[in-house]
Amino acid sequence: MTGLARRQVLCFGNELHGDDGFGPAVGRALAGLGLPAGWELHQLGTRGLDALALLQDCEAALLVDAEAPAGQPGRLRERRADELGSEASLVGHGMGLGFVLQALRAMPGRPGVLRILTAEMTEVRSFQLALSPAVAGSVDPAARQLGRWMQEAAHA
Amino acid sequence: MARIELNVDLNRVEGDLSVQVTLEDGVVVEARTAGTMYRGFEQILLGRAPRDAMVITPRVCGICGTAHLYAAVLALEQIWGTPVPPNATRIRNLCLFAEGLQNDLRQTFLFFTPDFCHPRYAQHPLHDAMMRAFEPFKGEVYRETLAMTRRVLEIVAHFGGQWPHSSYMLPGGVVTPPDTRRLIACRAALDELQRWYEQRVVGARLEDWLALDSADAYFAWLEQPVPASSALGLMTRFLRSQGLHRLGIGTPHMLSFGVGCDPERWGPSQDAHLMRSGFLDGDSGAVEPLDTAQIAEHVRHSWFRPYEGGRHPYEGETVPDYQPGSDRYSWAKAPRYGDRVVQTGPLAELLIGGDALLRDLHAREGAGAWLRQFARVRRVAYELQHARRMLDELGAALHEPHFIAPVPGSEVDGQGCGLVMAARGALGHWVRLRDGVVEKYQIITPTAWNASPRDSAGVPGHWEASLVGLEVADADDPIEIGHLIRSHDPCLVCTVHFAQAGAHAGAGRRLVVGA
Repeated sequence: MTGLARRQVLCFGNELHGDDGFGPAVGRALAGLGLPAGWELHQLGTRGLDALALLQDCEAALLVDAEAPAGQPGRLRERRADELGSEASLVGHGMGLGFVLQALRAMPGRPGVLRILTAEMTEVRSFQLALSPAVAGSVDPAARQLGRWMQEAAHA
Repeated sequence: MARIELNVDLNRVEGDLSVQVTLEDGVVVEARTAGTMYRGFEQILLGRAPRDAMVITPRVCGICGTAHLYAAVLALEQIWGTPVPPNATRIRNLCLFAEGLQNDLRQTFLFFTPDFCHPRYAQHPLHDAMMRAFEPFKGEVYRETLAMTRRVLEIVAHFGGQWPHSSYMLPGGVVTPPDTRRLIACRAALDELQRWYEQRVVGARLEDWLALDSADAYFAWLEQPVPASSALGLMTRFLRSQGLHRLGIGTPHMLSFGVGCDPERWGPSQDAHLMRSGFLDGDSGAVEPLDTAQIAEHVRHSWFRPYEGGRHPYEGETVPDYQPGSDRYSWAKAPRYGDRVVQTGPLAELLIGGDALLRDLHAREGAGAWLRQFARVRRVAYELQHARRMLDELGAALHEPHFIAPVPGSEVDGQGCGLVMAARGALGHWVRLRDGVVEKYQIITPTAWNASPRDSAGVPGHWEASLVGLEVADADDPIEIGHLIRSHDPCLVCTVHFAQAGAHAGAGRRLVVGA
């Protein structure tokens, strides 16, 4: 559980909740494309504070998650860690990815490279297994984007 | 008379919890705690191979998966009469204590003390010191807790391969033997945590801190500058200044299933613990031997298929029956001991186990919110001590087995239970096997005891009772309720058996951008 994986892609999200399954879908697409040598892929689902162990003391961490609807479904964006606030919701004990990133900033051992890729959800829907068409259309572009980031990180 | 109904949603608790309170002239006169999520682990297990429980039940909880694994394996070992080598029990205990250390420290310094930094306390004499220690993501103790609790969980990873949701125990032992490298790594993690606990959290050497055996000795000691300025000293001085040692008492009855299993005295014919199990009768003050036949679950106010009165878990069922608009209000059942409402947790564990300091404080003041939280921090010392003992014994018995395969033919049908003291208190799995598969599986979690709704007789659960009488200064920001509920270390994830539609439909979200 310590940072043995020096370079890693971490996918977050709950496939049971519609577009929140974006991260896991990107993880599968990336696995299909194959990762460069030295990179690991982790499907983290709804993991919370314990994901901190993966993020500390690693060379590079690329994070993938869905983002709240804001009028442009499927839009891919790179986010800075400090743009992501702590969770207001009870789910994940209020200690989800936003909390983890805040905790990471407060502690030593930050990753050398930390990049976050998000796709904007079409809507928030619980207990629906499929991605919306707009978000599904962003899965492959996201996987290719991560491929480029992995190459850039290798030259960083 | 002003009568106000409040719905309080709490963050920084484990799981989905809603508290409804009725205020009359600013005082709580009635409370209802509702588990708002149905989970259904018991049904998932029906018809499955018994060992599937080793994989499924650790996923009940993201905090105490080791405790669920431990309870599940003990239940099967009881049914099959499976002997367990002492080293297996040592490793199980060691990991359970590591998980407990993680919980007790995170609950205290990531969930409980952040409330002390509320703007309402800006004029409190301890305000500056509390901000320096407890402010989220900035306070020293807060940040150190993040680091220390991550470190101690490495112990579980050494033997379980991962934390949380590990599956490294199975009937007859554990999957990983002790070796010198693992023991050294575990000892280093414990050493580091103990130093921090001594210096930062209590302000004393472990032995000196555990030697304090009376309220007078403790309060005299607390006058000294080092303990007074320690994290626990700050917490104690602040909570007592707010009167929280006299508030939030709830039921006087307490339950402990006993701490760990005694490695040398555990198996088909023995059931000794490192600290005793029992029932503390709050009326007489006597500790009675645990009698599991007294345990029964009621569903009269829960969203389950109705039955009359209470049922022992072997006779129990967990069949969801959501009835909105009725007087049922929770996905948690109401467990009772006899007909008594009980509480469980570190305070129950150490009072029944015999900690002299807690017994004296309890006799003088009762079990208020401060004592409950104080006991959680005190338990850390015991967990460190027990964990070290396990490491020492493993070091002296390195070549003994960690697993003995069950004898062929021993995996018979029958019923059995696995009872452990989890981070939050008494956890039980009751299992019945028939035709080689799980016929019944009932789990009673610690929070089910503490956060139970009303029972068949309409008697409120422990949290519900503990809130009655509390004065709330600002109904729009009832921070007092937060202090009390958090002192119980709430975990509704384990307890309730779907996220709500409507207002909470966004339950799957974790990112809040631009907040």
